[in-house]
Amino acid sequence: MSTRIYLLPLWIRIWHWTNALLIVTLAVTGVSLHFADPGLPLVEFSLAARIHDIAGVSLVVAYALFTIANIVSGNWWQYVPKPPGILERCWRQTKWYCLGIFKGEPHPYRVTEEANFNALQALSYWGIMYVVMPVMLATGLLFLFPQFAPDRFFGFDGLLPVAVLHYLTGAAIMMFMIAHIYLGTTGHTATSMFKTMITGWHED
Amino acid sequence: MFISWCKSAAVPILVLTGSVWAFSVLAAEAASIDTATIEKNRKANEACFACHSAAAINKPPRADLDLGKLKESRLQPEDFTPSDHGVMDCRQCHGRGYDDFPHSVTGKDETSPCTECHAAKVLRLEPQFNGSVHAKAKGLKEKFTCSTCHNAHINIVALKLKEPHKIVAQDNHGCLECHNSDETFAKFSPDGEKTPGVKKKRPDIDTIHEWLPNTRLHWQAVRCVECHTPEVAAGKMLSHEILNKEKAEKKCVTCHSANSSLKTRLYRHMVKDEQQKYGFTNSVILSNSYVIGATRHPLLDSTVIGLVILTLLGVLAHGAIRIICAIRRKENSQ
Ligand code: HEC
Ligand code: HEC
Ligand code: HEC
Ligand code: HEC
Ligand code: HEC
Ligand code: HEC
Ligand code: HEC
Repeated sequence: MSTRIYLLPLWIRIWHWTNALLIVTLAVTGVSLHFADPGLPLVEFSLAARIHDIAGVSLVVAYALFTIANIVSGNWWQYVPKPPGILERCWRQTKWYCLGIFKGEPHPYRVTEEANFNALQALSYWGIMYVVMPVMLATGLLFLFPQFAPDRFFGFDGLLPVAVLHYLTGAAIMMFMIAHIYLGTTGHTATSMFKTMITGWHED
Repeated sequence: MFISWCKSAAVPILVLTGSVWAFSVLAAEAASIDTATIEKNRKANEACFACHSAAAINKPPRADLDLGKLKESRLQPEDFTPSDHGVMDCRQCHGRGYDDFPHSVTGKDETSPCTECHAAKVLRLEPQFNGSVHAKAKGLKEKFTCSTCHNAHINIVALKLKEPHKIVAQDNHGCLECHNSDETFAKFSPDGEKTPGVKKKRPDIDTIHEWLPNTRLHWQAVRCVECHTPEVAAGKMLSHEILNKEKAEKKCVTCHSANSSLKTRLYRHMVKDEQQKYGFTNSVILSNSYVIGATRHPLLDSTVIGLVILTLLGVLAHGAIRIICAIRRKENSQ
């Protein structure tokens, strides 16, 4: 039996794809800047710097709008891993990813309008969206306006901790993105989750 | 001995007769100038600072001083003493015309040119200087001397100045005095090619370099000469050939890469202290500036690249197993 529920309002979908586009752009230009070398031109340095600045500021705006819309619509609640039994649900979900999925077992938890995410999703999205992302955006802004960065840092330029945090959180988001895109293929069919993300309708 | 040589009126004649080497040796010898002589020079200079200082301008020692003219000078005892020439007696460069006040009218013409004591360096610099944009522009060469950029009373050579931001401030001040002031620029500016009789207008320095993001940040972290002079061998003195806009460096990765040219330029006196502090490449640069692409941590980079590759391999392997299992299930069910 196939059920259809309208899961994702338009604003979430627009935000999601804007976010996706900006993060891919930032990842490619960010790599070009950090690993800049005359022998390894991915995107030319000054072009990369320009694109990275514009995309970065856009991402900050998108994040700010997302946060406001989240509060207004109550969507933020989806990201909160809810007791009781979080650990137990995480464990079942992990087991499914490690074993059940290969045996063709059904998803351990069904998607409902009240709970879009499974416990693992909620936890990792919560960590990325409310911990890693703000650190990355804040350090990015400091990088753009270095006059607000600390002056010195243990005998080094004060921009060092800002740069390293920006680099590490950026790398974490890239790794999340790889896993996230892949896990998008683990729906009812390999493409059903991508369809949901476009149409808003969930099917299983 | 050195002092008496320099004071001597015979000096210019000797230079002309070719005693170039003797004088470069003298200048070099001055590094070991004895403390008694330094004391004597400082004492002698106090007579000049009695009028040539901010204190004297605030409280003039006599009534007939042209305070306006005194104020134009940036000369201060606290700046002069630590400068390259701070160990010297003013009169070694200015001659005897200034012993009394009012000063002798011919005093200005007697100022010793740099060659007099730095013959060897001038010999090396002159061809570079003659190839620079300022020497090539018509009517500019005559007005452009060594002291146009080098303030003999204040400047401290990079090796002694050590701190990069101080070197940047000093050297950029030399260029920006003209290139950031319409008034000063107009005094030197040649006539425009298509507009004889009308001086060339000063192009705004930030507008010219608009292609360089964080322009103001760059002015504080690098010098004009980093981009406007040709590359020289590592450890060699910076060239004095100022390059025009066609030849100036525009490639970001010249500085923003692991093999940054900053090592042979602004940081050339520091690279010998490079110790890869906490595992960072170019950690001497990092002590002053974080320069994207240049100040990296190879170990951290390898770790991050490794983790990203592991994530990729992980999802690829997971996907492959899923496909294999799905095919098996299909076969079994048939
Ligand atoms: C009594 C005050 C006084 C003393 C002492 C004095 N000066 Fe001056 N000096 C002046 C004033 C005032 C000027 C401004 C121009 C003028 O009125 O000649 C000046 C101008 C100069 C100039 C610039 C001349 C020019 O034509 O641009 C030099 C160089 C100079 N002094 C060097 C010295 C030296 C070297 C000493 C010490 C040996 C010295 N002065 C001692 C008051 C003094
Ligand atoms: C290494 C040589 C040298 C020494 C030492 C030196 N001067 Fe000068 N000074 C110069 C030169 C060169 C100029 C001319 C700058 C120019 O052409 O604009 C000058 C210019 C001046 C002027 C004119 C205004 C100005 O500031 O440019 C004054 C005043 C002056 N010197 C005073 C002194 C006094 C006082 C001392 C000692 C404390 C001193 N100088 C030591 C080389 C020297
Ligand atoms: C009367 C001699 C004399 C004249 C003229 C003179 N200098 Fe010097 N200069 C010296 C001495 C002596 C030292 C070294 C001081 C020391 O080592 O403590 C020196 C040091 C320097 C240094 C430091 C780096 C080095 O090569 O040691 C620079 C740069 C310099 N002079 C530039 C100039 C310029 C530019 C002029 C002309 C405006 C000039 N000098 C005129 C005597 C002179
Ligand atoms: C267009 C400005 C400009 C002019 C003109 C100029 N210089 Fe320089 N000079 C500089 C700068 C900038 C540096 C610093 C380079 C460095 O950090 O190595 C310098 C450095 C030097 C040094 C020190 C190099 C060292 O590290 O030992 C000497 C000596 C010197 N100049 C002499 C001269 C002489 C002599 C003349 C006149 C023929 C002259 N300069 C003309 C800008 C100029
Ligand atoms: C005394 C004033 C003065 C100082 C100091 C000075 N300049 Fe200039 N500069 C000029 C003038 C005037 C011109 C215009 C020449 C022309 O357009 O023909 C010029 C032209 C130039 C150009 C333009 C060449 C082109 O492509 O048309 C460059 C580049 C330049 N200067 C760099 C420098 C640098 C770098 C320094 C410092 C090391 C410096 N200048 C110091 C007066 C100055
Ligand atoms: C990052 C390298 C870099 C630095 C640092 C730099 N320049 Fe330039 N500069 C250039 C390049 C490249 C051009 C040619 C720009 C163009 O063709 O659009 C240029 C052009 C110029 C011109 C020519 C203007 C014209 O159109 O005639 C002047 C003058 C000049 N620079 C002066 C300076 C001065 C003064 C400083 C220091 C405050 C400085 N530059 C620092 C790279 C640099
Ligand atoms: C002459 C060397 C040099 C060149 C050429 C150069 N830069 Fe820089 N750049 C620096 C230095 C040094 C800093 C560090 C400034 C600081 O924070 O102290 C810097 C800082 C920056 C920053 C700020 C972030 C940071 O690392 O602190 C950006 C963005 C940047 N450069 C972009 C560029 C671009 C784009 C180009 C080419 C169009 C370029 N740079 C060319 C030396 C250079």
